[in-house]
Amino acid sequence: MTSRLRFVLIAGSISFLLTGCGDAFNAGTISYKDSEQFTKKQKDTPDLDGKPQLQEAVRKALADLFGPRPQEIKVPAGSGFPEGGRYLANYEKVGDGVQDIVYTEANSGKKVAVVGGYGLYRKYCLHCHGVQGAGDGPTAEFLYPLPRDYRRGVFKFTSTAPSNPKPTRADLKKTITHGLHGTSMPAFEALMSGSEIEQVIDYVIFLSMRGEVERNLISIAALVDKDDINGITADDIKESLDTVVNNWKATETLVVSPKARRTEPTRESVLRGRDIFLGKKFGTGQPVACTDCHGLHAKGDGSSFVERNIFDKVVFRRKSLDTAIEERYKELGDEHKSAQWQPGGHGGGHDSASSELPETFDAYKNRETTNWDKGSKDDWGNPLRAANLNLGVYKGGRRPIDLYWRIAKGINGAKMPAHGNLLPDDQIWDVVNFILALPYEPDLLKDAEQIKKSVTAAPAVTQR
Amino acid sequence: MRYWSLLFALAAIISVGIFAYAPISPEWWLPAGPNVSAGHLHSVSSAGKQIDSLFVIILLITGIVFIGTQVALVYATYFFVDKGPNGRKASYFHGSQRLEVIWTIIPAAILVFIALYQMGTWASVKFRSAAPKVQPLAQVTARQFQWVIRYPGEDGKLETKDDLFMVNDLHFVKGKQALIYLKSSDVLHSFFLPALRIKQDAVPGLTIPVWFDTDQAGHYELVCAELCGWGHYKMRGNVTVHETQEEFDQWLQSALKEQSRDQVAAVVTGSQGR
Repeated sequence: MTSRLRFVLIAGSISFLLTGCGDAFNAGTISYKDSEQFTKKQKDTPDLDGKPQLQEAVRKALADLFGPRPQEIKVPAGSGFPEGGRYLANYEKVGDGVQDIVYTEANSGKKVAVVGGYGLYRKYCLHCHGVQGAGDGPTAEFLYPLPRDYRRGVFKFTSTAPSNPKPTRADLKKTITHGLHGTSMPAFEALMSGSEIEQVIDYVIFLSMRGEVERNLISIAALVDKDDINGITADDIKESLDTVVNNWKATETLVVSPKARRTEPTRESVLRGRDIFLGKKFGTGQPVACTDCHGLHAKGDGSSFVERNIFDKVVFRRKSLDTAIEERYKELGDEHKSAQWQPGGHGGGHDSASSELPETFDAYKNRETTNWDKGSKDDWGNPLRAANLNLGVYKGGRRPIDLYWRIAKGINGAKMPAHGNLLPDDQIWDVVNFILALPYEPDLLKDAEQIKKSVTAAPAVTQR
Repeated sequence: MRYWSLLFALAAIISVGIFAYAPISPEWWLPAGPNVSAGHLHSVSSAGKQIDSLFVIILLITGIVFIGTQVALVYATYFFVDKGPNGRKASYFHGSQRLEVIWTIIPAAILVFIALYQMGTWASVKFRSAAPKVQPLAQVTARQFQWVIRYPGEDGKLETKDDLFMVNDLHFVKGKQALIYLKSSDVLHSFFLPALRIKQDAVPGLTIPVWFDTDQAGHYELVCAELCGWGHYKMRGNVTVHETQEEFDQWLQSALKEQSRDQVAAVVTGSQGR
């Protein structure tokens, strides 16, 4: 009876389609990928190239501390996470085994099954941030700016100081809840509940710890001879872990709190902020160099950065830096030539000598290449630009306190330095007021050139 | 072999059964408001009521036609199949003008009826001239992959310094017409409030007014209804409908206060849910 057989097949496939595959995002195994420092020769960081024994030792140490696979989470003792990986995955350690955990909601007393940070991360975050949090998920390559690589333990927008401090849980929560405007990081407030976001924060910290311990161990192992039988010791491992864990634990005490309340955003304050932005020195403050990066008109086109046009060609059109510079130089030459044909343009169009750019190609290429290498990369080696402050888009948040933190303590891992020791708090607030006013009053910087000249010509100016 | 027709009849009966059951169950019917116990048959928005009535009319027309054709089919296959050697032999004939005119005119009349009947609803939901003359609630800009919502602050005007910026968080007041200006900063998106039956594409370069209301306070869902990229599924928003204007104003005040915060929170709460 072939028709009966066919019926069975069809009915079977229909029922399969109907039952579907719930939780499919957690199906299948995934595994941590080694950091590129393991096997590839690195330029600026230590590596374990050609040291297979040490590579194995570091892998083993990581597996002992954090578990061999994302599905098999271990929590290093003293890391601050509850034993057994509770809240990281949906199980906890009970005696010798593990069991699924149920979470009792504080206010309602309702019992909810916990998906766990791992499951949530896998559903919402992994496709950009990657299995080990290296910012290398499958969708990462379509994005600019690139997703954060947690493994350095450096996060751009924190409320903490001094240099490259860990974010507080509140900082991470803000980023996940509200997203980072102007980047591809979306807001997750409508997708996850408060307790789910806490679980994701736990998992992000876990991945960051794992990544940083990996880096530390590689740094230690890189100094060890490749045939050394002892390799890395238990003390080395403990030390690598303790530094990282202690930094994360200390972070809540490092929050920077402004000493003064925000100055009322009066006209005077805004104008004072503008003059500070343009380099004027007031009272006890030091002159600051905002325009070097953000540009005289705050369009993010300062001279310390590679030209916008070249940046776009390299980052968005994926051209090589040399091609981009060559093309741009040619474009500039064409613009220069056509400008001479305009009525009122100086120089005769027929005279080929005067149609040349004031700068030679070599000088131009040299300058832009230096700007690209020195100025236009963040600590992760990714291309970076100063913000255009006319748009009213503030990645780290638009609250005055957020902008205060950006100015006073800089942006970790990026080129924005801390100004807390150069400007007193009231002057930082003036700059905050100016930055918040600028998108609505673009005329504030209309005469930036003249103002800059007059404010920097003041005799009180000393070098930064 | 006449019993085959009973199998066809069964399929039709199950379909009609589902059709009859759907209105009884809130799960099977059109999306209801947050308070399902208040009844799910009537939409909670005035646009929704009109749209649902169109939906019901079309459902009734197609339902009647479906039942009629199924009865005729089953009847014909049951009674005229397998008549045996004594039955009348089926004959073939080509074309019947009367029949063709009838089955063209009836559906055409139904279509024309639906086309004319829905015009008022379409005009009141979509025509710019029908937009309520109220202060705009917000400007909603869709971007991959979130809804950036900008409320006029205390001055009631958009694009001024006291605007409130929120992401994925839409608030309005029960019983009042809410007017938003819909924009897109990258690709096509679609602003969809299922419970209010409001769906409008967000088109790059256009500012499109969208208006809606509801007679039920509570939490609603905002989703993107146009596949806009890999993160389309993440593009959801929370909609909160306040009972009174005072409640809304209170929320607006607290949100504005948070937006102008210049101090670290008094106490960083240690509630990590552990």
